[in-house]
Amino acid sequence: MNDLLEFKALLAITPQLIIALGITLSLLLIAWHRTQQMIAFFTKMVLIFAILLSFPLLTIEQTAVTLLLKVDSYSVFSYILVCLSALVVTQLSSKFLQTQIEVHDEYYVLLLLVVLGAGVLVTSDHYASLFLGFELLSIGFVGLVGYARECKYSVETGFKYLILSATASSIMLLGIAFIYGQTGQLSFASVTELSHLQISSFYAVGMLLFLVGIAFKLSLVPFHFWTPDVYQGAPTPITLLMATVSKLAMFIVLMKCLFSQGYFVSENLIQLISVFAVLSMLIGNALALKQSNLKRLLAYSSVAHMGYLLIVLLISSQESMAFAWQSAQFYLAAYILASLSIFTVIVICEQQYREQNEIDVQLNIEDLQGLFWHNRALALLTIIAVLSFAGIPLTMGFIGKFYLLSHATMGELWWLVAALIVGSGIALSYYLRIIFVLFNRNKNEQSRLTYTATEHILVSIFILSGILLGVFPDFIGQFIA
Amino acid sequence: MMLTIIIFGLLICAGIAWYMESIKTHSARWIALVSFVVFALFFIFSITASPQHFNELQSLVRIAWIPSFNIEYALGLDHLSITLIILTFFLAIICVLVSWQEIQDKQGFYYFNLLASIAGIIGVFCAIDLFLFFFFWEVMLLPMTAIIAIWGHENRHFAAVKFFIFTQVSSLLMLIAIIATAYFYSKQTGALSFYYQDWLEIDIPLHLASYLMLGFFIAFAVKLPSVPVHSWLPDAHTQAPTAGSVLLAGVLLKTGAYGLIRFVIILFPQASLNFAPIAGVLAVVSILYGAKMAFAQTDLKRLIAYSSISHMGFVMLALFAFNAIAYQGAIVTMVAHGLSSAALCSLAGMVYNRIHSRNLNDMGGFWQSAPRMGGFALAFAGAAFGLPGLANFIGEFMSLVGAYQHFPVLVILAALGLIGSAIYGMVLFQSSFQGARTQSIADLSIRELMITGSLLLSLLIIGLYPNLLLQFAMGAPSL
Repeated sequence: MNDLLEFKALLAITPQLIIALGITLSLLLIAWHRTQQMIAFFTKMVLIFAILLSFPLLTIEQTAVTLLLKVDSYSVFSYILVCLSALVVTQLSSKFLQTQIEVHDEYYVLLLLVVLGAGVLVTSDHYASLFLGFELLSIGFVGLVGYARECKYSVETGFKYLILSATASSIMLLGIAFIYGQTGQLSFASVTELSHLQISSFYAVGMLLFLVGIAFKLSLVPFHFWTPDVYQGAPTPITLLMATVSKLAMFIVLMKCLFSQGYFVSENLIQLISVFAVLSMLIGNALALKQSNLKRLLAYSSVAHMGYLLIVLLISSQESMAFAWQSAQFYLAAYILASLSIFTVIVICEQQYREQNEIDVQLNIEDLQGLFWHNRALALLTIIAVLSFAGIPLTMGFIGKFYLLSHATMGELWWLVAALIVGSGIALSYYLRIIFVLFNRNKNEQSRLTYTATEHILVSIFILSGILLGVFPDFIGQFIA
Repeated sequence: MMLTIIIFGLLICAGIAWYMESIKTHSARWIALVSFVVFALFFIFSITASPQHFNELQSLVRIAWIPSFNIEYALGLDHLSITLIILTFFLAIICVLVSWQEIQDKQGFYYFNLLASIAGIIGVFCAIDLFLFFFFWEVMLLPMTAIIAIWGHENRHFAAVKFFIFTQVSSLLMLIAIIATAYFYSKQTGALSFYYQDWLEIDIPLHLASYLMLGFFIAFAVKLPSVPVHSWLPDAHTQAPTAGSVLLAGVLLKTGAYGLIRFVIILFPQASLNFAPIAGVLAVVSILYGAKMAFAQTDLKRLIAYSSISHMGFVMLALFAFNAIAYQGAIVTMVAHGLSSAALCSLAGMVYNRIHSRNLNDMGGFWQSAPRMGGFALAFAGAAFGLPGLANFIGEFMSLVGAYQHFPVLVILAALGLIGSAIYGMVLFQSSFQGARTQSIADLSIRELMITGSLLLSLLIIGLYPNLLLQFAMGAPSL
């Protein structure tokens, strides 16, 4: 009987196990034979395998795997998104890595480590596993962020990320220690066993410190300062990884943690999160207004998006929890698809400059000038991605915003709704700027972008899925319902 | 089915036009023209052949679209929407003719946008699922913004962004009102619904209804536009290419009025009645302010834009008077203003094509070289200031007569707007066609004669025989 239970539990974390096994095997592979193609192919296979094995788990009921992990359909869905993004990142990295002579095995190992860390995060049910996943993710990222050693910003970026990330995790650790001091347990749900009287201010301080650690990773205002620099300085595929995998995993674990505590009784926390949300929406969007570097702009816009997403954490009753999960999952899916789309465009455009032997490529908005007239598919992809970020119908982003607004309206969170409306209004002016640049007549010569067949397929898939999922959102809806 | 065919047919034609242009130049405009004419005829024939009576809103299609929110693809028609769709088709054909020579650059994509925005506008007029309505409401903006931003004049990007942000932010308020109403519906009945006719059956408590009504009202007031949220129109209108201005003034503003009728007044009658004094004051301020500002402009298209603000003020005043005569007056004004402003915009475009300026100071004495154009300009200016015999007179007269019973003081003030319109109308005509001769321009070509002639003819027909429109109840709210 016990064996059977354990088998079930193991089955529930197969995707994570596959990734872990993949990491070990890739180390062996490196020892055996070092080629760029092989390790890239192997990494992709591992990720595809993990995705395929996740699909049957989508209908899984809540399964506790030891004390540390708890798998449910939400975490499985998020993990599919994580692996998909990592797969795209692997594909997009190949060109960027080919420009250097060495073999970049470690890049792929670090990437898989990040994916494993995210896998631990999305399933964790315990502060220990949360910290484990958090560190695994951060350490992988520190290596990846500064990976392009020849580039001007790489050392700065790597150090900035390392120091701030370490600070954030130590603050979070302190918070966890406070929480442990109050509850005597590290399980997320532990606090629910205590009565209200026993929850002292120590616990509140612990939660505050814990939230600060997470807020750093989600780059919520006022912990967002690292984001634009790191986004800009990191290699573009890694920026994409950070925008998708890291944000998604951190948000899911935050949601799991707060929801399983039944935190909605604590008025202070609700206020704290509302403040984070409103500040992020307004300041994130306002700071994005004047950016000319595309990656910096996306960094600030991601701050705002995480602010929007915080709305789902504010639930008023146990019943609205399921809808909150649906909203978060849909919004994250939309956000990730849009990020994947726009970063694909950036990577492809950067290649063109790299072919002209520029090492430090900084893609500005103006560099997309006239793209619509000489490369329609790429421009269309940009438009769909940007419209999705802006939440305009025909794209998934609109349905995501619809979920958020429904959630906010049902919870009567009028202040947040107001901030969201103002934030989206500000956001439109810089999103539209990107789109208009695409249509500008190109003054210099018609520079043709060349890209490979795989990239062509990737672009077409993103365009199609962007529109189809935007018009028929229930295709995703059925997975998260 | 018929509406679905039209909307998707237009979209498919849009794609074809874009594609064909790359194979054969100048094919896109023919495709656009032919598809508008064919779909317009198809629409009119299927309406007349239909056994249904459209006195009341008839639901024609209902298909589940997003089941998790119980959102449906639901289309319906009544006389009001039929009238506006016919107006849309008519002006769409005008738009193609107006653009015939003007647009030389990227023609394929231009006609793609034109067809797509018309498809969206028709969707707005017949969607009866509120989510679908919102969907079309937003989708029609995208090609419209593209038309302004790509083929507009010197300051086009600023104008396009302003246009988009105004409408987008205000429509988010409407989206929240839609969600809140649907949520309230689900609290009452246990299931979510975005279906218009379901919403008519629930009774929303007044304090809640006032807020919901306000959400809708703001979105439509921006589109109408009404003071104080009008400032996007002069910019967008001035910077847009001629066809864009025709679409904006002729049809897009009517979607705001349509929304006020269908979603504000009918869904929230009591709340609207309480709100009527404020709306009435806003309307009168729009009328007077629009007229004053129109008088002060030296840019021909800005002048027309402010005159539109002034005229749409009459529509709002009449709608919030809750009176059958005023209501019919509002509808006649909507149609009449659609035609007359389209006519003035086309004329402005024709002048611009000849002298490459919109500035009234650069014009003068055109009558001597282009008498036919001058005649039409005089007639259209006359229409704008409500000359009897033309459609605008009927609309404004009925609006004022009807509204007088509800807001006597406001109507007296609003009537001053008629004088204002006479003044700016004469300014427009005198400074361009009379006075010292500045340069000589070519008179109207046959294509331009067709445009102006057909617009003037329809203004005359409605002006002389208003029963053409008035015979329909137009789904007048029972008051």
